[in-house]
Amino acid sequence: MKNFEHVDARSLAEASRLLTEKPSVAIAGGQDLLCMMKDGLLEPARVVNLKSIPGLSRIVYDEAKGLSIGALVTLSELEEHPAVRQLYPAIAQAAGLVGSPQIRNLGTAGGNLCQKPRCWYYRGHFPCLRRGGDYCSAAAGQNRYHCILGGDPCYMVHPSDLAVPLVAFGARVEIAGPKGRRSVPLEEFYIPPRVDVTRETILRPGEVVTAIVVPPARGRISAFVKFAERGAWDFAVASVAVVVQKGEDGKLMGGRVVLGGVAPVPWLAPKASEALTGSELSEAAFGRIAELALEGAQPLAQNGYKVPLTKSLVRKALRMAVNA
Amino acid sequence: MAEGKGGVSRRGFLKGFGTGVVGAAVAAKVRLGEAAPQTSPGWDGKVPVVLRVNGKEYRLLLEPRTTLVRAIREHLGLTGTKVVCDRGECGGCTVLMDNKPVYSCQVLAVEAQGHEITTIEGLVQAEELDPIQKAFVEHDAMQCGFCTPGQIMAAKGLLLKNPSPTREEILRGMSGNLCRCAAYPGILRAVESLAKKAQG
Amino acid sequence: MAKKLVRSVWDFENEWVETVAEVPERLPEPWAPDRPLRVAGQKYPRVDGYQRVSGDARYAFDIQLPRMLHGKILRSPLPHARVKQIRAEKALALPGVVAVFTHENIPPIPWYGDSFLFDPHVRYEGDEVALVVAESEAVAEEALGLIEVDYEPLPFVIDPEEALAAGAPKLHDEGNLWNGRPNVYERGDVEKGFQEADVVVEDTFRTQVVHHAQLEVHVCVADWEGDQLTVYETTQATFSVQRSLASILKLPLNKVRVVNYFMGGGFGSKLGLEKQTVLAALAAKQLGRPVRIANPRKDEFLAMGNRPSSIQKLKVGAKRDGTLTAISLWSLGPGGAYRSAGAELGTPVREIYKCPNVRTEESTVYINAGPARPKRAPGHPQGTFALESILDEVAEKLGMDPLEFRLKNYAEIDQVRNRPYTSKYLREAYEAGAKAIGWYEKRNKIPGSGVGPIKRGIGMATQIWGGGGGPPAYATVEIVSDGSVIVRSGSQDIGGGTRTIVAQVAAEELGIPMDRVTVIMGDTALCPYGPTSGGSVTAASITPAVLAAAVEAREQLKGYAASALNVPADQLAWEPGRFFLKSDPGKSISFEEAASRLRSNMIVVTGARGPNPEGYTINSFGAQFAEVEVDTETGRVRVLKIVAAHSVGRLINPLTGRCQFEGGIIMGLGFALLENRWMDPNVGRMINTNLHDYRVPTMMEIPEIEVIIVSEPDTKANPVGGIGIGEPAIIPTAAAIANAVYNAIGVRVRELPITPYRVLEALGKA
Repeated sequence: MKNFEHVDARSLAEASRLLTEKPSVAIAGGQDLLCMMKDGLLEPARVVNLKSIPGLSRIVYDEAKGLSIGALVTLSELEEHPAVRQLYPAIAQAAGLVGSPQIRNLGTAGGNLCQKPRCWYYRGHFPCLRRGGDYCSAAAGQNRYHCILGGDPCYMVHPSDLAVPLVAFGARVEIAGPKGRRSVPLEEFYIPPRVDVTRETILRPGEVVTAIVVPPARGRISAFVKFAERGAWDFAVASVAVVVQKGEDGKLMGGRVVLGGVAPVPWLAPKASEALTGSELSEAAFGRIAELALEGAQPLAQNGYKVPLTKSLVRKALRMAVNA
Repeated sequence: MAEGKGGVSRRGFLKGFGTGVVGAAVAAKVRLGEAAPQTSPGWDGKVPVVLRVNGKEYRLLLEPRTTLVRAIREHLGLTGTKVVCDRGECGGCTVLMDNKPVYSCQVLAVEAQGHEITTIEGLVQAEELDPIQKAFVEHDAMQCGFCTPGQIMAAKGLLLKNPSPTREEILRGMSGNLCRCAAYPGILRAVESLAKKAQG
Repeated sequence: MAKKLVRSVWDFENEWVETVAEVPERLPEPWAPDRPLRVAGQKYPRVDGYQRVSGDARYAFDIQLPRMLHGKILRSPLPHARVKQIRAEKALALPGVVAVFTHENIPPIPWYGDSFLFDPHVRYEGDEVALVVAESEAVAEEALGLIEVDYEPLPFVIDPEEALAAGAPKLHDEGNLWNGRPNVYERGDVEKGFQEADVVVEDTFRTQVVHHAQLEVHVCVADWEGDQLTVYETTQATFSVQRSLASILKLPLNKVRVVNYFMGGGFGSKLGLEKQTVLAALAAKQLGRPVRIANPRKDEFLAMGNRPSSIQKLKVGAKRDGTLTAISLWSLGPGGAYRSAGAELGTPVREIYKCPNVRTEESTVYINAGPARPKRAPGHPQGTFALESILDEVAEKLGMDPLEFRLKNYAEIDQVRNRPYTSKYLREAYEAGAKAIGWYEKRNKIPGSGVGPIKRGIGMATQIWGGGGGPPAYATVEIVSDGSVIVRSGSQDIGGGTRTIVAQVAAEELGIPMDRVTVIMGDTALCPYGPTSGGSVTAASITPAVLAAAVEAREQLKGYAASALNVPADQLAWEPGRFFLKSDPGKSISFEEAASRLRSNMIVVTGARGPNPEGYTINSFGAQFAEVEVDTETGRVRVLKIVAAHSVGRLINPLTGRCQFEGGIIMGLGFALLENRWMDPNVGRMINTNLHDYRVPTMMEIPEIEVIIVSEPDTKANPVGGIGIGEPAIIPTAAAIANAVYNAIGVRVRELPITPYRVLEALGKA
């Protein structure tokens, strides 16, 4: 890494100011940021520490307001929190599957949502549209692990495990910046490549995520399934989060099916989500929902296998949710 | 010995060759707004850093880019903790920070201030090995030994939090440490033996 | 001790080396298989365990010398190019940078045969271009980015088949095919053999490039004191490095010392002199300060070696009763950009099964990618995978149990050299392994016949390997007056626990407790010669030398015992712990008392490894059985259990030995299911130069492993009776897993690694 100035921000306002004064980055857990810097992909003159800002590392559950996850809550804390485990199991499951124990001890919820892409061409200094290059190396390259939905002109997959169940629960991101505060649904936090291939999130200079707010659980059931080649460290080849409401008539009342590891953003599957309403709890019904979730998938030369794989994960997630 | 044209000092390196274009095929970096400076900041770049390691306080002068593992190894001479991948993907640099296992290559030394850091050297008390260290020797939970300090610190962190983990909990708790010699079964046996001891 | 010179020919990493060595006239008595042993052959914790678990162990990576400088190597970012110009002004201007070395100021030291240490014709991404030396590692790293190099790109080729095609970019004057022709071996007449066959099966198999990925990067520290050079190097080959380094630097051997007390893994990537060691030595001499050069992890993937990929076309013929009539193998693999290690893999075909008609045609090609290096049992995991897969196919066509088929074609002798083995307990291995895995009970009679989406299966494979070792190999045993013993042994402990088994052999033969023995290994100045630790030869080469030295040292101590008891030495006998009068056993003197007679004298004996027996091949054998579970919806293969039954002579330390086997098996699992080098074909560069995209097995992947040693001590091979175990462990694992996958799902995957996408594609789902 090149050397830099390190400053502990004492407040959000100070952080915003520090971040905009010169080429800077904000550091939370640092588990992704330091890799980006060591690989020469980010060379900030200043690193602004957010961990010195009080009030960003609490998890608060309130039956009326729902779950508020401070951006600096570590993944370990999130995974182990009793209210999260009991009421939002998919979120706890996702947090517990990120990386490894050491990463979870330092990595934060906010950092996990804001982490940079893991496309190996992006990280490896290959020609890359996202980094301002001339073309996408994955399009006609080794795209075994790239996206099957929502790609073009960039075919990355979104690396965050946590984002998947959070979108499924309808979470919102709270943001603070030079022009004040705002809050957006998580699925609008991310920018699809067709809109702007060079940016992943809507954060403007000087803005930081302060919290993630999840609506009250209200009897919704959930599950998260992650498929990776190894049992630790690996980013998802594909993942699925389902959040559903069970009706008294033995059918599902609605919810969301969200896919991870298969699109440049956490992929809220609209038709599959709609089909949850009034769906039976049968294998056949789950199969239909899975088919709808992957409808319109456009595999690349090497990743057609992700289609049947993800469908099986959708079925599995639905099974897990209703059997929990 | 090294006969070459010119010396290797700054002055004598190469006679001028004229202008040329950098030909290396390195694509653009992530844009941050204005271009980042090409060279190090004007001041010598160091800041005071106070680290508490193995119960002792150390006052150092470090560049902010110094990671905790490099501070431990190069400035404190504690070479038990290893740098293996330098990216937080192998566990060789695992230390305890406030009794939690972390990758010290992924922690800036300046940000380790105010925390209690424990390294492998901190487990040995007056040359008496910690029970985890003894178990590793007894069960031959190693081959080349390079991952061993990191494995032991991960095990220590696991057992401090949960003195009687199940097998699944041990596998999970140790899953952040690679062993290329794949002494995993021995490591599992060693940690399991300690879990059983705690139980009864 | 009277000595004689002997010529030996023995197997080192699949290459037959010839040595001339001085060996004792009188060789030690072999340890009879039924001799009761106190210490050797027992489970014993490592003698250097304390150092490893406490952080005290100083690896080359940890050596920090006063005023030490740090070097970093600039490597070509292009797969094929000419260096036109290097401008280092900006790097030199960075505060803390001391020097930059390039081909302009480093002499053209020959390397790889037709290249140089810094060759302006760079032939792969990772090829060395320059060295920066600075006051700190961070500054040196930063300076790398400031060296400006003008490259003239050249056309490149990274596909082995394309490299063979006419018009392919040429890397070397000799052309891309090594030696201009394949290596061909023939016995009998395969065409006739195929005609005689009732069943013929032909298939193509592919395996991937895999990396050593050892945890300690390549690192060295070079330190001059006057004209004495000491190099702290992480290496499997202290003496080889010493020799090569002295030769290049034009120094006498007695001015060059190589030290390696602890090393963090090698697996074949550290078998000789590295360019960076030469550079560190030159820079240290020039700059008058020690110089350390350590690779970043990325460079390990780019430039520090790999196991070549393979394309293997096999054809097998057999009679209805299962007798093999012919095997032919055509193989092609990339050696990488330079002459470093080849892609041979035909030994399993040539040697495991009895077959009178065999032909192997093996080709290695140059491609613009990292040069290959021997990796744990070079050639064998790949060759075994293909052979064992196709033999299962033949067995199925014959309607024969695959194990029956193997037994039907059991080779009693080495068919290539036409001579017997010193020991071969392969039948016992088949039997023990089959029983332990439940071969007859659990294996699907019809592959893929399990019910439900999760399917289980069982498969097996056979292993053959060398590991007999040979001379020269020496060890010095010193007894001092307090009864403690120092053993200075050749070779180095690369992690397998060699120090411990050396101590066990010495303690056993001297009749003293283990804690009385200190072992020094891995220092060319302190230790006599021992071979490079590769090919699983270390234990079999070194332990007989230790035994010989210990026997002789005890004889000399007997002289002091005799003088203490005032009797002629030939009236004394020995048993563990004491010397006693043959005629009156009650009259005795302990080892310590006898040693105390030494006062300021020392007993110093250098023992030598004796010759290998004439007319025999020393091999290890084994069979591994795998039980797997395949999820046919996701394609995931989970290995539930591996039973490894091996014939390796005497296992000198069952505790450390078991750990070695488990490690090799898990590495074999990585080869079977996870590991892969990805190259981008459009720009000719490696994509996954890190430890998360290059998937090494984690703790979460481990199966249940049962290790069964079926062999008796092999005293024909050497007096201690052990054969090397480091490589046997990894050889058949992938093959057994692949056969188990077939048994589980009824569809064969003929390409490694067997990843979820390959399983789904094989099942027709993708």
